[in-house]
Amino acid sequence: MSNGLSLPEELMGKIDHILDHLQQKTRTDCIILADVSGQVISTQGHMVDGTPSTVAALAAGDVAAMGELTRQIGEENPHGSFFHEGDQKSIYLHNIAGSFILIVIFRAETPIGLVRLFAKRAVEKLRELTIEFEEVIDKPSPVDSEDFKSGLTRELEQAFSDD
Amino acid sequence: MYINWKLREINLKIVYYGPSLSGKTTTLQYVHSKTHPDRRGDLVSLKTREDRTLYFDYMQIELGMISGLKPRFNIYTVPGQVYYKQTRKLVLKGADGVVFVADSQQGRLRDNILAVRDMRRDLGDLGFNPEQMPLVLQCNKRDLENIVPVTVLKNRLKMNGVPTFETIAIQGEGVLDGLKTIINRVVNKTEHRL
Repeated sequence: MSNGLSLPEELMGKIDHILDHLQQKTRTDCIILADVSGQVISTQGHMVDGTPSTVAALAAGDVAAMGELTRQIGEENPHGSFFHEGDQKSIYLHNIAGSFILIVIFRAETPIGLVRLFAKRAVEKLRELTIEFEEVIDKPSPVDSEDFKSGLTRELEQAFSDD
Repeated sequence: MYINWKLREINLKIVYYGPSLSGKTTTLQYVHSKTHPDRRGDLVSLKTREDRTLYFDYMQIELGMISGLKPRFNIYTVPGQVYYKQTRKLVLKGADGVVFVADSQQGRLRDNILAVRDMRRDLGDLGFNPEQMPLVLQCNKRDLENIVPVTVLKNRLKMNGVPTFETIAIQGEGVLDGLKTIINRVVNKTEHRL
Protein backbone atom coordinates (compact mmCIF):
# COMPACT_ATOMS: atom_id res chain seq x y z
CA MET A 1 0.00 0.00 0.00
CA SER A 2 3.00 2.27 0.08
CA ASN A 3 2.17 3.45 -3.45
CA GLY A 4 -1.26 4.66 -2.40
CA LEU A 5 -4.68 3.72 -3.59
CA SER A 6 -7.33 5.41 -5.64
CA LEU A 7 -10.70 3.69 -6.01
CA PRO A 8 -13.20 4.69 -8.70
CA GLU A 9 -16.96 4.82 -8.07
CA GLU A 10 -17.71 1.52 -9.78
CA LEU A 11 -15.35 -0.41 -7.54
CA MET A 12 -16.58 1.45 -4.47
CA GLY A 13 -20.12 0.42 -5.44
CA LYS A 14 -19.07 -3.26 -5.39
CA ILE A 15 -17.42 -2.82 -2.00
CA ASP A 16 -20.45 -1.04 -0.56
CA HIS A 17 -22.71 -3.78 -1.88
CA ILE A 18 -20.67 -6.48 -0.09
CA LEU A 19 -20.62 -4.51 3.16
CA ASP A 20 -24.33 -3.71 2.92
CA HIS A 21 -25.15 -7.39 2.39
CA LEU A 22 -23.02 -8.32 5.40
CA GLN A 23 -24.78 -5.74 7.55
CA GLN A 24 -28.22 -6.97 6.53
CA LYS A 25 -27.36 -10.60 7.23
CA THR A 26 -25.79 -9.94 10.62
CA ARG A 27 -27.82 -6.87 11.67
CA THR A 28 -24.68 -5.29 12.99
CA ASP A 29 -24.36 -1.64 13.99
CA CYS A 30 -21.45 -0.61 11.86
CA ILE A 31 -19.10 -2.19 9.34
CA ILE A 32 -15.89 -0.49 8.27
CA LEU A 33 -13.41 -1.45 5.57
CA ALA A 34 -9.98 0.13 6.12
CA ASP A 35 -6.55 -0.32 4.67
CA VAL A 36 -3.72 -1.62 6.84
CA SER A 37 -2.37 1.87 7.42
CA GLY A 38 -5.66 2.79 9.10
CA GLN A 39 -7.38 4.81 6.36
CA VAL A 40 -11.15 4.30 6.07
CA ILE A 41 -12.21 2.98 2.65
CA SER A 42 -15.92 2.48 3.27
CA THR A 43 -18.43 2.50 6.12
CA GLN A 44 -21.88 0.96 6.38
CA GLY A 45 -24.20 1.74 9.27
CA HIS A 46 -23.29 4.23 11.94
CA MET A 47 -21.51 4.46 15.25
CA VAL A 48 -23.23 5.84 18.34
CA ASP A 49 -19.93 6.53 20.09
CA GLY A 50 -16.61 7.25 18.43
CA THR A 51 -15.84 7.77 14.75
CA PRO A 52 -14.95 5.30 11.98
CA SER A 53 -11.61 7.03 11.33
CA THR A 54 -10.47 6.59 14.93
CA VAL A 55 -11.71 2.99 15.02
CA ALA A 56 -9.86 2.27 11.75
CA ALA A 57 -6.62 3.79 13.07
CA LEU A 58 -6.82 1.74 16.27
CA ALA A 59 -7.83 -1.43 14.40
CA ALA A 60 -4.84 -1.02 12.08
CA GLY A 61 -2.58 -0.82 15.12
CA ASP A 62 -4.25 -3.87 16.61
CA VAL A 63 -3.96 -5.93 13.41
CA ALA A 64 -0.33 -4.89 12.91
CA ALA A 65 0.54 -5.81 16.50
CA MET A 66 -1.26 -9.14 16.19
CA GLY A 67 0.59 -9.83 12.94
CA GLU A 68 3.92 -9.26 14.64
CA LEU A 69 2.87 -11.33 17.66
CA THR A 70 1.98 -14.29 15.46
CA ARG A 71 5.25 -13.93 13.54
CA GLN A 72 7.07 -14.06 16.88
CA ILE A 73 5.60 -17.49 17.53
CA GLY A 74 6.58 -18.70 14.07
CA GLU A 75 3.31 -18.26 12.18
CA GLU A 76 4.13 -17.69 8.52
CA ASN A 77 0.86 -16.13 7.32
CA PRO A 78 -0.56 -13.93 10.06
CA HIS A 79 -3.72 -13.04 8.15
CA GLY A 80 -6.48 -14.17 10.47
CA SER A 81 -9.33 -12.73 12.43
CA PHE A 82 -9.84 -11.88 16.08
CA PHE A 83 -12.51 -10.23 18.16
CA HIS A 84 -13.17 -8.50 21.43
CA GLU A 85 -16.28 -9.60 23.29
CA GLY A 86 -17.75 -6.77 25.35
CA ASP A 87 -20.69 -6.51 27.74
CA GLN A 88 -22.70 -4.28 25.38
CA LYS A 89 -20.79 -4.18 22.11
CA SER A 90 -18.27 -6.46 20.49
CA ILE A 91 -15.82 -5.92 17.68
CA TYR A 92 -14.61 -8.37 15.06
CA LEU A 93 -11.49 -7.71 12.96
CA HIS A 94 -10.42 -9.62 9.88
CA ASN A 95 -7.13 -9.04 8.09
CA ILE A 96 -7.75 -9.37 4.33
CA ALA A 97 -4.69 -10.48 2.37
CA GLY A 98 -2.41 -8.34 4.54
CA SER A 99 -3.74 -5.22 2.82
CA PHE A 100 -7.19 -4.45 4.22
CA ILE A 101 -9.11 -4.81 7.46
CA LEU A 102 -12.78 -5.62 7.84
CA ILE A 103 -14.16 -4.22 11.10
CA VAL A 104 -17.57 -5.33 12.35
CA ILE A 105 -19.11 -3.67 15.42
CA PHE A 106 -22.08 -5.53 16.83
CA ARG A 107 -24.26 -5.83 19.90
CA ALA A 108 -23.74 -8.48 22.56
CA GLU A 109 -27.00 -10.25 21.61
CA THR A 110 -25.73 -10.94 18.07
CA PRO A 111 -24.12 -14.40 17.98
CA ILE A 112 -20.41 -14.22 17.16
CA GLY A 113 -20.80 -17.37 15.05
CA LEU A 114 -23.22 -15.53 12.77
CA VAL A 115 -20.85 -12.60 12.39
CA ARG A 116 -17.90 -14.88 11.78
CA LEU A 117 -19.76 -16.92 9.14
CA PHE A 118 -21.00 -14.01 7.04
CA ALA A 119 -17.85 -11.96 7.58
CA LYS A 120 -15.76 -14.79 6.15
CA ARG A 121 -17.97 -14.89 3.06
CA ALA A 122 -17.64 -11.13 2.67
CA VAL A 123 -13.88 -11.40 3.10
CA GLU A 124 -13.69 -13.93 0.26
CA LYS A 125 -15.53 -11.54 -2.05
CA LEU A 126 -13.42 -8.59 -0.92
CA ARG A 127 -10.27 -10.66 -1.45
CA GLU A 128 -11.28 -11.18 -5.08
CA LEU A 129 -11.73 -7.42 -5.44
CA THR A 130 -8.20 -6.73 -4.17
CA ILE A 131 -6.95 -7.66 -7.65
CA GLU A 132 -9.12 -4.88 -9.04
CA PHE A 133 -7.83 -2.57 -6.29
CA GLU A 134 -4.30 -2.98 -7.58
CA GLU A 135 -5.35 -2.30 -11.19
CA VAL A 136 -6.84 1.10 -10.40
CA ILE A 137 -3.85 2.53 -8.57
CA ASP A 138 -2.65 5.74 -10.21
CA LYS A 139 -5.84 6.21 -12.17
CA PRO A 140 -5.71 9.81 -13.46
CA SER A 141 -8.54 12.24 -12.79
CA PRO A 142 -9.56 15.68 -14.03
CA VAL A 143 -8.71 17.62 -10.83
CA ASP A 144 -6.73 20.81 -11.50
CA SER A 145 -3.68 20.49 -9.24
CA GLU A 146 -2.96 24.25 -9.17
CA ASP A 147 -6.51 25.01 -8.03
CA PHE A 148 -6.20 22.24 -5.48
CA LYS A 149 -2.97 23.63 -4.03
CA SER A 150 -4.29 27.17 -3.70
CA GLY A 151 -7.52 25.83 -2.16
CA LEU A 152 -5.45 23.77 0.27
CA THR A 153 -3.57 26.84 1.51
CA ARG A 154 -6.87 28.64 2.08
CA GLU A 155 -8.43 25.68 3.90
CA LEU A 156 -5.38 25.21 6.14
CA GLU A 157 -5.50 28.86 7.17
CA GLN A 158 -9.16 28.44 8.10
CA ALA A 159 -8.56 25.18 9.97
CA PHE A 160 -5.92 26.80 12.19
CA SER A 161 -7.55 30.22 12.60
CA ASP A 162 -8.62 31.29 16.07
CA ASP A 163 -12.07 32.41 14.88
CA MET B 1 -2.69 7.88 0.34
CA TYR B 2 -6.17 6.70 -0.38
CA ILE B 3 -8.63 8.43 -2.70
CA ASN B 4 -12.32 7.49 -2.66
CA TRP B 5 -13.72 8.83 -5.92
CA LYS B 6 -17.27 7.98 -4.93
CA LEU B 7 -17.19 10.19 -1.85
CA ARG B 8 -14.52 12.44 -3.41
CA GLU B 9 -12.26 12.07 -0.39
CA ILE B 10 -8.48 12.06 -0.31
CA ASN B 11 -6.87 10.53 2.79
CA LEU B 12 -3.25 11.21 3.62
CA LYS B 13 -1.12 9.94 6.49
CA ILE B 14 1.48 12.05 8.25
CA VAL B 15 3.73 10.66 10.99
CA TYR B 16 5.71 12.54 13.64
CA TYR B 17 8.86 10.50 14.23
CA GLY B 18 11.78 11.09 16.62
CA PRO B 19 13.61 9.98 19.76
CA SER B 20 11.91 9.66 23.13
CA LEU B 21 10.87 12.86 24.89
CA SER B 22 11.66 15.02 21.88
CA GLY B 23 8.16 16.55 21.93
CA LYS B 24 6.14 14.54 19.40
CA THR B 25 3.05 14.14 21.61
CA THR B 26 3.29 17.76 22.80
CA THR B 27 3.41 18.82 19.16
CA LEU B 28 0.28 16.86 18.30
CA GLN B 29 -1.52 18.14 21.39
CA TYR B 30 -0.77 21.69 20.27
CA VAL B 31 -1.95 20.97 16.72
CA HIS B 32 -5.17 19.51 18.13
CA SER B 33 -5.76 22.49 20.40
CA LYS B 34 -5.27 24.92 17.52
CA THR B 35 -7.37 23.13 14.93
CA HIS B 36 -10.90 24.45 14.52
CA PRO B 37 -13.28 22.04 16.35
CA ASP B 38 -15.31 21.55 13.15
CA ARG B 39 -12.19 20.40 11.35
CA ARG B 40 -10.67 17.97 13.86
CA GLY B 41 -11.42 14.54 15.29
CA ASP B 42 -10.64 13.37 18.81
CA LEU B 43 -7.03 13.11 19.92
CA VAL B 44 -6.49 9.48 20.81
CA SER B 45 -3.44 8.52 22.88
CA LEU B 46 -2.34 5.00 23.67
CA LYS B 47 0.02 5.54 26.57
CA THR B 48 1.61 3.83 29.54
CA ARG B 49 0.67 4.47 33.15
CA GLU B 50 3.66 6.79 33.26
CA ASP B 51 2.06 8.90 30.51
CA ARG B 52 4.58 7.85 27.88
CA THR B 53 3.43 6.94 24.38
CA LEU B 54 2.96 3.19 24.18
CA TYR B 55 1.70 2.78 20.65
CA PHE B 56 0.75 6.05 19.01
CA ASP B 57 -1.18 9.28 19.30
CA TYR B 58 -3.67 9.95 16.55
CA MET B 59 -5.90 12.72 15.28
CA GLN B 60 -7.63 13.54 12.03
CA ILE B 61 -7.93 16.91 10.33
CA GLU B 62 -10.67 17.20 7.75
CA LEU B 63 -10.64 20.18 5.43
CA GLY B 64 -13.49 21.59 3.36
CA MET B 65 -14.06 20.65 -0.28
CA ILE B 66 -11.20 21.73 -2.56
CA SER B 67 -11.60 21.34 -6.34
CA GLY B 68 -14.29 18.75 -5.67
CA LEU B 69 -12.15 16.74 -3.26
CA LYS B 70 -12.33 16.61 0.52
CA PRO B 71 -8.83 16.17 2.03
CA ARG B 72 -8.41 14.29 5.29
CA PHE B 73 -5.10 14.15 7.11
CA ASN B 74 -4.54 11.28 9.51
CA ILE B 75 -1.77 12.37 11.84
CA TYR B 76 0.18 9.99 14.07
CA THR B 77 3.11 10.09 16.45
CA VAL B 78 5.35 7.09 17.11
CA PRO B 79 6.52 5.94 20.56
CA GLY B 80 10.08 7.21 20.97
CA GLN B 81 11.48 4.82 23.53
CA VAL B 82 14.15 2.46 22.19
CA TYR B 83 12.32 -0.75 23.02
CA TYR B 84 9.28 0.23 20.95
CA LYS B 85 11.33 0.00 17.77
CA GLN B 86 8.98 -2.49 16.13
CA THR B 87 5.96 -0.36 16.95
CA ARG B 88 7.50 2.70 15.31
CA LYS B 89 7.85 0.74 12.11
CA LEU B 90 4.21 -0.35 12.22
CA VAL B 91 3.01 3.22 12.61
CA LEU B 92 5.14 4.33 9.63
CA LYS B 93 3.32 1.88 7.37
CA GLY B 94 1.44 3.73 4.64
CA ALA B 95 2.89 7.13 5.58
CA ASP B 96 2.72 9.87 2.96
CA GLY B 97 4.99 12.24 4.83
CA VAL B 98 7.13 12.40 7.97
CA VAL B 99 8.02 15.18 10.40
CA PHE B 100 11.18 14.29 12.29
CA VAL B 101 11.07 15.89 15.74
CA ALA B 102 14.62 16.31 17.00
CA ASP B 103 15.51 17.22 20.59
CA SER B 104 17.87 20.19 20.20
CA GLN B 105 19.72 19.63 23.49
CA GLN B 106 23.40 18.73 23.12
CA GLY B 107 23.04 15.67 25.31
CA ARG B 108 20.41 14.22 22.94
CA LEU B 109 22.39 14.49 19.70
CA ARG B 110 23.30 10.83 19.64
CA ASP B 111 19.66 9.82 20.27
CA ASN B 112 18.59 11.99 17.34
CA ILE B 113 21.18 10.39 15.06
CA LEU B 114 20.12 6.88 16.08
CA ALA B 115 16.44 7.73 15.57
CA VAL B 116 17.09 9.10 12.06
CA ARG B 117 19.02 5.94 11.23
CA ASP B 118 16.10 3.82 12.49
CA MET B 119 13.63 5.91 10.50
CA ARG B 120 15.55 5.51 7.24
CA ARG B 121 15.95 1.80 7.81
CA ASP B 122 12.25 1.38 8.69
CA LEU B 123 11.18 3.28 5.58
CA GLY B 124 13.44 1.12 3.43
CA ASP B 125 12.08 -2.06 5.04
CA LEU B 126 8.54 -0.88 4.28
CA GLY B 127 9.37 -0.43 0.60
CA PHE B 128 9.79 3.34 0.57
CA ASN B 129 12.77 5.17 -0.85
CA PRO B 130 13.73 7.26 2.22
CA GLU B 131 15.15 9.97 -0.05
CA GLN B 132 11.82 10.42 -1.81
CA MET B 133 9.60 10.49 1.28
CA PRO B 134 8.33 14.05 1.93
CA LEU B 135 10.16 15.12 5.08
CA VAL B 136 10.29 18.09 7.43
CA LEU B 137 12.75 18.57 10.29
CA GLN B 138 11.39 20.08 13.50
CA CYS B 139 14.23 21.17 15.81
CA ASN B 140 12.39 21.30 19.10
CA LYS B 141 13.11 22.77 22.53
CA ARG B 142 14.86 25.84 21.11
CA ASP B 143 14.07 27.71 24.35
CA LEU B 144 16.45 25.56 26.40
CA GLU B 145 20.11 26.18 27.13
CA ASN B 146 22.93 24.04 25.71
CA ILE B 147 21.26 23.44 22.39
CA VAL B 148 22.95 22.36 19.18
CA PRO B 149 23.01 25.00 16.39
CA VAL B 150 20.47 24.13 13.68
CA THR B 151 23.14 23.95 10.96
CA VAL B 152 25.11 21.41 13.03
CA LEU B 153 21.97 19.39 13.77
CA LYS B 154 20.98 19.27 10.10
CA ASN B 155 24.47 18.26 9.13
CA ARG B 156 24.76 15.48 11.72
CA LEU B 157 21.30 14.17 10.83
CA LYS B 158 22.16 14.34 7.12
CA MET B 159 19.14 16.55 6.55
CA ASN B 160 20.68 19.39 4.57
CA GLY B 161 18.05 20.48 2.08
CA VAL B 162 15.16 19.34 4.28
CA PRO B 163 12.73 22.17 5.28
CA THR B 164 13.55 22.92 8.90
CA PHE B 165 11.61 24.63 11.67
CA GLU B 166 12.90 25.76 15.04
CA THR B 167 10.11 24.97 17.48
CA ILE B 168 9.09 25.25 21.10
CA ALA B 169 6.29 22.70 21.03
CA ILE B 170 5.14 23.40 24.57
CA GLN B 171 4.34 26.98 23.48
CA GLY B 172 3.40 25.97 19.96
CA GLU B 173 6.06 28.12 18.33
CA GLY B 174 6.81 26.94 14.80
CA VAL B 175 4.63 23.83 15.10
CA LEU B 176 1.86 24.81 12.68
CA ASP B 177 4.37 26.10 10.12
CA GLY B 178 6.03 22.69 10.14
CA LEU B 179 2.70 20.91 9.74
CA LYS B 180 1.55 23.14 6.89
CA THR B 181 4.87 22.56 5.14
CA ILE B 182 4.68 18.76 5.35
CA ILE B 183 1.06 18.87 4.15
CA ASN B 184 2.08 20.93 1.13
CA ARG B 185 5.03 18.65 0.39
CA VAL B 186 2.79 15.58 0.59
CA VAL B 187 0.25 17.17 -1.75
CA ASN B 188 3.01 18.20 -4.19
CA LYS B 189 4.34 14.66 -4.20
CA THR B 190 0.92 13.17 -4.85
CA GLU B 191 -0.41 15.79 -7.28
CA HIS B 192 0.17 13.57 -10.30
CA ARG B 193 -2.54 11.32 -8.87
CA LEU B 194 -5.01 14.16 -8.57
